[in-house]
Amino acid sequence: MDLPLLTVIVFLPLLGAAVVALLGNARAAAGRAVAATVAVVDLALVAWLAMRFDVDGGMQFVEKLTWVPQVGITYHLAIDGMSLSMVALSALLTMLAIVASWKTEKNPALWFSMLLLLEVGMNGVFVAMDFVLFYVFWELVLVPMYFLIATWGGPRRQYAAVKFFLYTLFGSVFMLVGIIALYLQTGTLDILEMAGAGLDPTFQWWVFAAFFLGFAVKVPVFPLHTWLPDAHVEAPTAASVLLAGVLLKMGSYGFLRISLPILPDAAAEWSTFIAALAAISIVYGAAVAFAQTDMKKLVAYSSVSHMGFVMLGIASMTPEGLNGAVAVMFSHGVVTGMLFFLVGMVYDRTHTRMIAEVSGLSAKVPVAGGLLAFASFASLGLPGLSGFVGEFLSLLGAWASDIPVGWVVTSAVGVLLAAAYMLWLVQRVVLGSPSEAVAGITDLSVREVAVLLPLVALTLVVGLYWDSLLRFTDPAVRSVLAMMGGA
Amino acid sequence: MSELLLLTPELLVLLGALIALFADRITGHPRAAAHIGAPLAVIAALVAALIGTHGGVFAGMLALDSLAVFARVAIALLLAFWLRWVSGRGAGAERSAEAVALAMLSAVGGMLMASARDLIVLFISLELSTMPAYVLMGYRRTDARGLEGALKYFLLSMLTSLIMLYGLSFAYGISGSTAYADLGVVDAGTLGQLAIAFVLVGLFAKLSAAPFHYWTPDAYAGAPAGSVAYVSTVPKIAGVVALVQLVAAFAGNGGTITVVLLAGSLLSMLVGNLAAYPQTDIRRLMAYSGVAHSGYILLAAAAGSAGGTAAVFYAVAYAVPSMAIMLLGSEEGTALDDLAGLAARRPAVAWASVVWLLSLIGIPPMVGFFGKLTMFTAALDNGLLWIVAVAVTMSVVSAGYYFKILRSVFFGERLDAGRATRSTAAVIAYAALTVVTLALGVLASPVLEFFGLRF
Repeated sequence: MDLPLLTVIVFLPLLGAAVVALLGNARAAAGRAVAATVAVVDLALVAWLAMRFDVDGGMQFVEKLTWVPQVGITYHLAIDGMSLSMVALSALLTMLAIVASWKTEKNPALWFSMLLLLEVGMNGVFVAMDFVLFYVFWELVLVPMYFLIATWGGPRRQYAAVKFFLYTLFGSVFMLVGIIALYLQTGTLDILEMAGAGLDPTFQWWVFAAFFLGFAVKVPVFPLHTWLPDAHVEAPTAASVLLAGVLLKMGSYGFLRISLPILPDAAAEWSTFIAALAAISIVYGAAVAFAQTDMKKLVAYSSVSHMGFVMLGIASMTPEGLNGAVAVMFSHGVVTGMLFFLVGMVYDRTHTRMIAEVSGLSAKVPVAGGLLAFASFASLGLPGLSGFVGEFLSLLGAWASDIPVGWVVTSAVGVLLAAAYMLWLVQRVVLGSPSEAVAGITDLSVREVAVLLPLVALTLVVGLYWDSLLRFTDPAVRSVLAMMGGA
Repeated sequence: MSELLLLTPELLVLLGALIALFADRITGHPRAAAHIGAPLAVIAALVAALIGTHGGVFAGMLALDSLAVFARVAIALLLAFWLRWVSGRGAGAERSAEAVALAMLSAVGGMLMASARDLIVLFISLELSTMPAYVLMGYRRTDARGLEGALKYFLLSMLTSLIMLYGLSFAYGISGSTAYADLGVVDAGTLGQLAIAFVLVGLFAKLSAAPFHYWTPDAYAGAPAGSVAYVSTVPKIAGVVALVQLVAAFAGNGGTITVVLLAGSLLSMLVGNLAAYPQTDIRRLMAYSGVAHSGYILLAAAAGSAGGTAAVFYAVAYAVPSMAIMLLGSEEGTALDDLAGLAARRPAVAWASVVWLLSLIGIPPMVGFFGKLTMFTAALDNGLLWIVAVAVTMSVVSAGYYFKILRSVFFGERLDAGRATRSTAAVIAYAALTVVTLALGVLASPVLEFFGLRF
């Protein structure tokens, strides 16, 4: 095909961001219309790509140009099923975030251009197949997210935004060292060429450690997660949605795309350690979520727990586990996005996120209450909804693998804990009689329902018809495993 | 005669310096010197680029290799940007003609130093590039603090220059020649070691690398920020080229140089970054950050010829955004709080400052990232894993203090209106510096190709 579709998908939002910024706050209404149009077109392009996508075709829509040949950097974009699911998530959540924050009054030109700039980085990370290009997009994400949190965040927004930036930067500079080490060893910066290079195991171990720092901070894996609650609590709703929905997945995607195929021996050595950290993240995240009095913090810690299942699936290195990991990544993006949107919508009305001050939503605002209950059920992994698919497959993969059974059992306990804290949340917030804060509020507007409906639909479709997601991910994870097996 | 033509860029800048001294009187325009100087510097850069590389000239005293050409063009261009800014802003309350002349003389010294192939030429050009800087730093004659800083700079700089000269005399004594080409015989004997160490002392001080950095924060903090913008960036480029070429020339040193460079690198990175963190004055902050960046440069300089190229590239990558920030500080005030609310007053400049600061941190696709990428690649290729680990960790620390500037620009509250009046020339300078910061990153390939730089 002549049209460089991936380039358009990645860089169209950059154009949009520039236009929105140039329109400025004086023409904010036009600006947000441009932002919404760009986001919708971008999502439509992703959908168009998905329709023309050959699930068994491996890497597709390849674009490869030289960029800085002096140091071997290429402009290399390509997409497979795993990338496609993430790009779809990124494009969808960006569009919804723009619609959900339609009424932003403080500096709207900057707000919408930052959301679009963020989309450039998010889309780019998942389709970049050159290490430097990957790193460019990886770092690009930090800048708009910093401004989103620091400008529109809560009272401690400055602290949270800088903490987010520095933590991630700390991880990523070590990733850069790993990238350089791989380049010096293999003479290429191409992620796909490097896969299955059969590198020396000791060398692999060190490079894996460098990448681990970069990816594990982003996921985040216990004990590198401490930036996450701060960032989430201070971040505005739309930024929280994109942070949890897409940015965290960049870390686990890195494990799947880079660490496993390129460093298979080290991955095998590290698998028990990662599984242990995953199990601890699952249980720790759940236990801390239990103790939260702030709804947003509860959802934030539940993310630590859910991302633990992603890491468990990855550590299993089985087809089931990896499919499960990608499925949790996708489902968590959808479901947690829904939860953050709902918490934000409730907060807009009640001006509190304290669980103790909000109750009886279903009696007073049945649509919001019902959707919150639905999202909570999806989050706790109720069969028939999307959350179940990935967690089930991750655990299945972990059972089938060499991971010590104790860690698998520990992780399974996490499922119970998730059910407990989510149901308890539903009981306190959704059920009961309306509290003072809830007394005078109105139910969700049509725009807000429109934001949530696509997420509800995806939760049901993936939950009921697993193949809708797995048909994309399965060939991709099998090729990852094939690269690990055959040098 | 044809050999003299190769020096056309230097001669053009020298001509500009001489014109500058009289331009104001003749034209009656207070900033005529800078108005005339800026285009001359641009022409000098273009001519230098057109001349390209050339083997030994003047009996091998000078040679235009790819690094020298790159440095000549970079110095002339940065000089042009600085002069463009001065043409709109002036040099503070003082007359600007002398400042323009001094900066241009310093640039001539820097351009010669980059192509020097002989110790005598090196020393003379080094002094030519440094002497005007003393005056620029103490340019505000009535400011006691500024004079104190300038005096400190002068005394310590002279001291280190003389130590360097002493070292050069040892090298001459051993090799019997002042040509770089003959320095290979300076071996690891006691005298040779002393020669190398003394020469490095001089160059470290020029780069304000630890432990010879301590004059910088005081001198910068007392000096007009506009002068600091020039002195802290342009002479450094030439200094790095000279360092790289001397390191290559001292081939028979048995590893002494590497040890000294790495020790200086480690110390500079740690001292610079950690000391920059608590600063509240941009001049002091950038002084320490300059020390830190010199640390990265020394690391690259210790990493073979690929590292040498990376060091020079990084010196430019550091100089461009760093000059921009100091110029902005000169315009808006040098306390961190003076920048507060800049995003509301001058949004375009505020976003340009994001580009500069991210480049200094090393975030792609800005030039600072490609500088760090090539530097760390060279260093890792030479097995310097642990010191690279320190370097990347310290670059995260640097993000911490650069974000203090960003935070003030975007989120600081300021009650009084900004003091800066609009100056088109200053905006042109910012735009040019921003474009270079971005373009040298995204379009690094054609630039490297043009200059024939190899890593």
